[in-house]
Amino acid sequence: MAKTLMIVDDSATMRKIIMRTVRMSGLEFDSTEEAGNGAEALEKLKAGPVDIVLCDINMPEMSGTEMVKQARQLPNCKETKIIMVSTESSQDLINSVMADGANGYITKPFTPEKFQEKLSPFMS
Amino acid sequence: MIEQKTYHETVLEAAKEVFETMIFMEIEPSQETPFFQDADLLMGSITFKGDLEGCMVISMTWPCARIIARNMLALEPEADITDEETCDAIGEVSNMVMGSIKSRLQDTYSSIEVSIPSVITGKNLTGPNIEGAERICVPVSIDEDQSAVFSLLYRMRKG
Ligand SMILES: [Mg+2]
Repeated sequence: MAKTLMIVDDSATMRKIIMRTVRMSGLEFDSTEEAGNGAEALEKLKAGPVDIVLCDINMPEMSGTEMVKQARQLPNCKETKIIMVSTESSQDLINSVMADGANGYITKPFTPEKFQEKLSPFMS
Repeated sequence: MIEQKTYHETVLEAAKEVFETMIFMEIEPSQETPFFQDADLLMGSITFKGDLEGCMVISMTWPCARIIARNMLALEPEADITDEETCDAIGEVSNMVMGSIKSRLQDTYSSIEVSIPSVITGKNLTGPNIEGAERICVPVSIDEDQSAVFSLLYRMRKG
C-alpha cells in the first residue's frame, strides 16, 4: 500500500537531511510533505492525513510535544504514526511524549539504520 | 560537580559525534585558538537553563560554515549555497551538539532545558556574557584545514 510521509522540523537543512536519510534507509514513500513547526504541521494534517510523521520537538510557534497532543484529537489522524526525531534524549521526556500518543522516538544524530529500524514496523 | 576538564572533553566528544555521523567531517582538538580578528564570522548559539544554565557557542568563518553546510546537504564542493541556508545549517549544528552535550551530562544534571538555536554574523563577535559563569573554549580543526571554536559558558543554578 502506498505510504505518505510528513517531515516536521524548524530547520530546512534538517528536513533535507531527514529526507536523505529516509531514502538511504531504503524506505519508499509515495509522497512527502514538510512543515516548519507544529502549528503548520497540524494545519496540513487537518487538510489531509498522512501515514507517517517524523517530528522534531524543539521548534518555535508550536513544539513537537504539543503537536502530538493536538494531532491525537484530530479524527482523521487516529491511524497516523508519529515518530519524534529530536536532540532531546531524556527518558522522562521520551516517556511523556509516548504517553501523549507518539509511536516512536529517534534521537539526533541518527543513522539510516536507525530510521530503517524505527519506521519499517509501520510500513506494511 | 563536574570538573572543567570534563566539560572540555564532553564538548569535544559531542562535537565529534555530530560531525562524524551527520556532517561526515573529522574533528580534532587543536592546540591553537584560530585567529579570527577582523574576519567575517558566524556564531551559532543555544542557551540552556535548569540545574545547570548557560550557553553553547560555535564560531567559524563563512568559508568554513559553507563547507559544513554543503556537507550537511550533500552538495558538491562548488555548489551554490545561500547565506540563509548556511546560517540554518550552523544553527542546527549548534542544536545537535548541545543535544549531545545535554545527554552526556544527564546523569549529573537531569533538568537541562535547551532553547531554539540562533545564529549571528559579523566581525569581532564576542558572544554572550553570563555573570558568574565559567567559560571553556574548545578550538578544533575540521577535516584538517578548517577551524572552529566551541565555547561553553555554564554556572550552577542559584539557590
Ligand atoms: Mg528544532
